[in-house]
Amino acid sequence: MAFLGAFLVQVAARVRLISAAAGSLSVDRPAVRLRRFLFDVLLQRQTIRERPWVGVAHAFVFWGFLAFSGYTIVEFLRGLGLVDLTEHPLFLAYRVALLPWAIAVLVGITLLLIRRVLFRPAALGEAISTESVAIALFIATLMVTYVLGFLVDEGGTMGDANWWVHMIVILAFMALIPASKHFHLVLSPITVFLKSPELGRVGNLDFEKEQVGLETVKDLEKKIVLDALTCVECGRCQVNCPAWGAGKELNPKTLILQTQDALVAGRREAKLGEIYSEKVLWQCTTCGACENQCPVGIEHLPLIIGTRRGLVSNGDAPPYLGGMYNNLERRSNIWGLGYEQRQKFIEAAGLEMFDPARHEWLVWLGCAGAFEADYQKSLRALFDILRTKNISFGVLEKERCNGDPAKRTGNEYLFQELASGNIETLRNAGATRILTSCPHCLKTLGEDYRRFGYVAEVVHSSVLVAGLCGDDRREGPVRESVAFHDPCYLGRYAGHVEEPRQLLTRLGADLREPVRNRDNPFCCGAGGGLLFADKEEEPGTRISDVRFKQLQETGAAMVVTACPFCSIMLKGAQATAQADTQFVDLMTFVKERLQ
Amino acid sequence: MILVIAEQHGGKMVRATWETVAAAQQIAAGAPIVVAVPGAGVGEAAREIAVAAVHEVVTVDHQALGSYTPDGYSAALEQAITELAPSLVLLPHTYQTRDFAPTLAARMNKPLVTDVTAFKRRDQILTFVRPMFQGKLVADVVADGPDPIATLQVGAFRADLVAKGTAPAPVRPLTVSLDETSIRERPEAPFRQARQAVDLSQAERIVAVGRGIKGQEHLPVAQNLAAALGAELAASRPICDAGWLPMERQVGSSGQTVAPKLYLALGISGAIQHLVGMKGSSTIAAINKDPDAPIFEVADYGIVGDLFEVVPALIEALKELRRT
Repeated sequence: MAFLGAFLVQVAARVRLISAAAGSLSVDRPAVRLRRFLFDVLLQRQTIRERPWVGVAHAFVFWGFLAFSGYTIVEFLRGLGLVDLTEHPLFLAYRVALLPWAIAVLVGITLLLIRRVLFRPAALGEAISTESVAIALFIATLMVTYVLGFLVDEGGTMGDANWWVHMIVILAFMALIPASKHFHLVLSPITVFLKSPELGRVGNLDFEKEQVGLETVKDLEKKIVLDALTCVECGRCQVNCPAWGAGKELNPKTLILQTQDALVAGRREAKLGEIYSEKVLWQCTTCGACENQCPVGIEHLPLIIGTRRGLVSNGDAPPYLGGMYNNLERRSNIWGLGYEQRQKFIEAAGLEMFDPARHEWLVWLGCAGAFEADYQKSLRALFDILRTKNISFGVLEKERCNGDPAKRTGNEYLFQELASGNIETLRNAGATRILTSCPHCLKTLGEDYRRFGYVAEVVHSSVLVAGLCGDDRREGPVRESVAFHDPCYLGRYAGHVEEPRQLLTRLGADLREPVRNRDNPFCCGAGGGLLFADKEEEPGTRISDVRFKQLQETGAAMVVTACPFCSIMLKGAQATAQADTQFVDLMTFVKERLQ
Repeated sequence: MILVIAEQHGGKMVRATWETVAAAQQIAAGAPIVVAVPGAGVGEAAREIAVAAVHEVVTVDHQALGSYTPDGYSAALEQAITELAPSLVLLPHTYQTRDFAPTLAARMNKPLVTDVTAFKRRDQILTFVRPMFQGKLVADVVADGPDPIATLQVGAFRADLVAKGTAPAPVRPLTVSLDETSIRERPEAPFRQARQAVDLSQAERIVAVGRGIKGQEHLPVAQNLAAALGAELAASRPICDAGWLPMERQVGSSGQTVAPKLYLALGISGAIQHLVGMKGSSTIAAINKDPDAPIFEVADYGIVGDLFEVVPALIEALKELRRT
C-alpha cells in the first residue's frame, strides 16, 4: 500500500504540473495521431528505426510489459484477497503463453543493460545512471522470478518467497518510476498521441490577449510540460542536432531536462532565459531533427521558438537579427534590397502577372527569387520546364517575404504582419495553386498560413516537375555521380524525398547518398535566422562546413540542392574549403538534361 | 533669417553640420543665414564653419556648455533663438539633437519637424518632406505655427555642396546667462565603444578581393592597387575564413556594411551575402573572369578578364595619370 501510495502521490504531483500549465491540449486530425500511435507506440517504429538492435531489444521489453499486464493484475487481485482467478483454465494457458515473452524480455533487458554499462554511447551521458541499472535489474528479476514460478513448488516456502519477491519488485518499481525517466512508460503513449500531426507546429500568438511568448516557467504550455516529464533521455535529439554535431553548446536533450528540473522544483517564476543558456537558444536552425527523431513524442520547436519569442519581446535578440528585422520591416525582404530588382527579373524572364482565368499555377518567387542571381537561374530553368510542358503560370505583382525568418526566430509580430499582407495579396489575386522552389516558402505558405484561415494547394517545384517529367529519360554510357542534399524543410518537414531522387536518376545521375539523408538530413545551417549569423565566436565549426564535408565525402563530383538557403550556405562552405565541388540546383539539372 | 545650430565635438564640426549649412543655402533664396555654435571654447570651431557663405557665425560660449546636457543646451539655445529671432531654425538630426530639440521646441512653443529629407515650396509655403512608418511612406509636412524648428536627416543633404564665401564670415560672441544649478544632468566622461581597428564604413574607396585571388601570395597585387588608389583593402568571406586577411576586413552580411564612393571588386563572384554589404556604394566596378558572375548585376563598370592581367595594367595607368 505504501508503494502504491508513493506512486500515486508522485503521479498526482505531475498531473497537477500539467493541469496548472497554460494553454490546452490539441487533438486535431485524430486519424494522423492514431496512425502515429499505432506505429510509434505499439509497433515501436521510432525506437527501432534509428537504433535497430537497441530498438528491437526495447520492443521486446515493451511488448513483454503489455503481455504481462493482465498477469500482474490477476496476481494483485489475488494478493489483495479480492478475487482469485489464478485457477481459471484460461489464466493457466495465459501463464504458459507468457513464458516465451519472459525469455524475450530477459534477453532484451540483458542486452540493454550490457550496452548501458559497457558500451555506453555519448548520447546517454558520461556517467552510468544507477537508476537505469536498478530498473533493468528489477525487470530482469521480475522475469527470473516469473520463470522460477514454474520450477519451484507452488504453495511451498520457496514458492511464496518467489511470489513475494516478484510482487515487491513490481511495487518498488512503481514507486520509483514517476520521478525517473521510466515514467515515460506511463506518459509516452499519451505524449505521442498529443504530438502535433505536422512537424514544427508553433501556434500563432494572440496579440489581442497580450501574448508575448514564453518568458518564465509558468508560461510553459501543457504539452511542453508533458514533454519535459516524458523525456526518456535516450539522446536521439542530441546526436541528430546539427548544432551539437558541429560542436556547439546546444543540446536539445539538455533543454528538455532543464525544463523538467525547473518544473519539478516548482520554480514557476524563474526566467527561461536563465534556465537555459540564452546563447544556445539562438544556435537552433529549426531543422526539426530533434523533434522528428524523438521516440516519445516530444516537440522541441515550440519550446525553443516560444522562448525566442519571449526574448524578442523583451528586445533580447542577437544583434545580427536586428538588421534582418529592419530589412523585413522597411523593405519586406530579408536582404533590405529594393523591389525594383524583382521587377527587372520579371521583365527579363518574360513573366506574366497571375490571372486565375488564364494560369494554372501561381509561381511564388520568394525573396531569393527576387534578389539572388543564382536562384534566379534556377527559377528560369523551372520556367523553361513549365513552358516546355505547356503549363501556364503567372506571378504576383508584389510579394513580401513569407515571414519564415521572423517566425522561426520568434518575431511573431513581424511574421503576422508579413503573413496577413501576403494573404490579402494572394486572396485578391485569386490564387488557389501555388508553386514554389523554396522549401521554407512551402512550409510557411502551406502550413503556417492555414492558421490564418488561408488554405491553398502549395507545391514544391521538385514534386510538380517530377510528375511532369515522368516519362523523360536520359540514358548515356556514363552516369554522372551526384550527391543530393535534402533540404530540411523539403525532406524532413514535407517528406518529399523520392521526387528529387526520381528526377535525378531518370536523368542520368548515379546517386551517392551522403550520411544523414532523406527525411533525416543534416542541416546546411541557414534555418532559424542563422543565415544572418556572424561568424560565431564560440566552440565548434560552422554547420555548413560540417555538411559540406559530409557531401564531399560521397566522392560525387556534383552536389544538387533544392533550396536557395542550402545553396547559399553550402557554396559559402565550398568557397571556404577552397574546393571545386560543382553545385547545381535541381531545376537547372533537370532543364539541362531534358531532351 | 535662417539659423543653423551647429554641432561640434571637441572643437571640431561634425559632418552633419556642414550638411545642414548646405541645406540652408539651398532654401535661403536670399535670406541671410546665421550659424550658432554652442559649447565652451568654440572659437576654433566657429572659424572652421565661417568659411561657408553665410551672413555671420555666432558663438554661444559658456562654461556650462562644455559637456552636453539637455538642460544646458535647451536653456542656452532658447536665449540665442529669442535674441536672433530667425524665421526658421535648422539642426542636424543627430543623437544629440534628438535629445534636446523636443524640449527646446516645447519651451518656445514652436513647431518642430524632425528627420527632414527635403524641402518643397508649395504656393510659397515651405513644406518639409520626411519619412513615416519606418520609411514606408513619405509625408509632406507644413508647420502649424510661425518660425518652425526643423531637424535634417543625416546624409540627406550633401556636405560637399556647401558654398564657400569669398572671405570668412564674421564671428561674434552671443552672451547667454545660465544658472548652472538648474542643470539637472551630471554627464560622465564621454566614452567611445571599442571600435574595430579598421573602420571600412568610413572609407571613401575600397578595393575588395574574393576567391579569384587564388592564394595569399597574390594579395600584394590587390594591396598595390589599393595603395595606388588610396583605398582600403577589404575581402569577401572565404578570404577572411582562410585567414588571408583579418576578419575586420570582411564585407557582407556577416562582416561590415560599407558605402564608399568607389568599390572595386577583384575576383568576387557576388554572392548575395556579399552584395548586401556593399550595395550602397556610389560606384561599383568589378573585375571577374566569369561573365555570368552576379557581381556584374550590380556593377556600374565591369571588366571580364583575368585580374592578374587587368590589375597591373590598372596600376600602371594610375601611375601614368599621376605623372601627367
